[in-house]
Amino acid sequence: MTAGPGRIRPSTGEYFLWGVAALFIIVPLGCFLAYGFFSVVDNAIVYRPSIGNFADLLSNASYRATFLRTMRMALEVSAINLVLGYATAYFIWLRPPGWRNFLVIALAIPLLMSYIIKIYAMRGVLGTNGLLNSALMTLGIVDEPVSALLFNLTAVRITLSVVLLPFMVLPIYIALERIPASVLHAASDLGANELQTFAGIILPLSLPGGIVGAMFTFVLASGDFLAPELVGGIEGFTYGRLIFSQFGLAFNWPLGAALSILLMCVALGVIYVARRLGNPRWQR
Amino acid sequence: MAKPDTSGPDFEAGLPLLSIRGLGVRFGTVDAISPLDLDVHDGEFLTILGPSGSGKTTLLRAIAGFQPPSAGRIEFDGRDIADLPINRRPFNTVFQDYALFPHMTVRENVGFGLRVRGTTRKLLNDRVDDALGIVGLEELDSRYPAQLSGGQQQRTALARAMICEPRLILLDEPLAALDAALRRQMQKFLKSVQRQSGITFLFVTHDQSEAITMSDRICVMRAGSIEQIGTPRELYYRPKSRFVAAFFGASNIVEPCRIEESRDDETVVATPVGTFSVKGPPPEDTSGLALAIRPEAFGTDAASRVNSLEFEVAAVSFVGSETITELRHRNTSQMFTMKTRSDPAARPPETGSLLRVGFDPAECALVTGAES
Repeated sequence: MTAGPGRIRPSTGEYFLWGVAALFIIVPLGCFLAYGFFSVVDNAIVYRPSIGNFADLLSNASYRATFLRTMRMALEVSAINLVLGYATAYFIWLRPPGWRNFLVIALAIPLLMSYIIKIYAMRGVLGTNGLLNSALMTLGIVDEPVSALLFNLTAVRITLSVVLLPFMVLPIYIALERIPASVLHAASDLGANELQTFAGIILPLSLPGGIVGAMFTFVLASGDFLAPELVGGIEGFTYGRLIFSQFGLAFNWPLGAALSILLMCVALGVIYVARRLGNPRWQR
Repeated sequence: MAKPDTSGPDFEAGLPLLSIRGLGVRFGTVDAISPLDLDVHDGEFLTILGPSGSGKTTLLRAIAGFQPPSAGRIEFDGRDIADLPINRRPFNTVFQDYALFPHMTVRENVGFGLRVRGTTRKLLNDRVDDALGIVGLEELDSRYPAQLSGGQQQRTALARAMICEPRLILLDEPLAALDAALRRQMQKFLKSVQRQSGITFLFVTHDQSEAITMSDRICVMRAGSIEQIGTPRELYYRPKSRFVAAFFGASNIVEPCRIEESRDDETVVATPVGTFSVKGPPPEDTSGLALAIRPEAFGTDAASRVNSLEFEVAAVSFVGSETITELRHRNTSQMFTMKTRSDPAARPPETGSLLRVGFDPAECALVTGAES
């Protein structure tokens, strides 16, 4: 191939970068995809392609139920976080500039902490002697500790909502920050009251950030296995745990890979939809 | 004394539409605007002109309600509006960055002011059509702001501000972001819209030529205070301070000045470069008195002029329609600038030659105040 005019000839450095990408991203992903089409006989992997895993996966009622329950849980977490995250981002946005930066940093710090530690912390909060129960009892809402807060799907919902909240708040906050002050002044100047300015200007201009946040939350919540594993109990058996069990317990890597491929397709679908919604016509 | 020549209509009659009394804006310990008075008359095009940091935008923002004043009253049509929230002030603003709503089409942007007032759909559409017609954007009504050129965005912003038929529109450097050719076109356009609609325009700019071509009156601001208010001709030909003189290009400043004689409509002053006759009475406060002469006031037909003086030619530069001659006064070595219309037939004066130039009493002014 000759490099024509207007085309930059790839340098040695660029070939190196392609090599790195291939070695660490494309090859592993390819292997992983390939495994989804293998099978296991007598605890040994048979390297002969078939679609048996996918047929199993679709015909097995318990897999289907786990998949649907997990997707619904992830949707619920996204919806809860959209409301909580929007309120939080909006609150931060209304603070004076110095406060704003402080609060954003405070919100981002947990992202640097170990995921397992955060889930253990939530376990402490939700337990019978936990913070939440103490608070409920102090306020007189309940007479004795509620055990229903831990080791079920609700615990998973609460834990994921809390842990994933920054992924929702930050994109919404960034969208709010990008609204010029003059645009808000213009709305008031033209006679809009606070509610009209919020509903007509602020919300539509910041909602694309919320869609991005909902995408993050959904994708992370639907594939998560640590939180359900640690706070979910038997009821909180999710798709992530199902995949984990295929790899870690049943040693059925091909089925685990097939389950993961399905999840990856869902995630890609969600990302595609979010990209369309999060980038409305007026921005293009 | 004869009333100075005012080309525009007489707006002074009757009560002002907007009356500002003792309005001050303070940022911490700094006065962004020292308490000032300003009257804006119904139907006029008043420009607030000043360099950056002069407080002109702060003044506009205080009137619009974006910047709470620290003192003073703002009366609109006889009613104090200083405490009214932004959305209840009876006038609209065109912003420097246009501040169009990016998620709304041109039509939705323009109709916003009526929509928040709950105007019926039919009336809203008619009024939006009218406004789009005035600014010539009928064809682009379904475009989003990101799909418009700067001039089209500007027109949208103007239509949006006019839709509620305010009696006053505030314009904050609306042409600053446009290139020179489009800016001149929009100046004419804004002026014609203002004339035809009869809406009072309060226009902020730092561009003196823009102010001159568009305004009925100009209010020159400097360091948070009003330096001088008057018609473009008054400010151009009869600046009261060195600052205004320099701002409008009367760059030849002669000082010190001593008043020799003042009679009727003429004052005679003695300066280091000669004794000259100036139109008009002397200022009341003569501290720092100086004579400001416009570069284009000088003419080589010295014999036919009241005032004349002799220079040595220091440099001649041809800049197209005009020729700029740098002149050195022989005794004081002070440099002067002369701007003349280029003449293809005439030979430009030789550098180092002596040149006698003259100027008329009406083309110079006595100014006071500190150097700009």
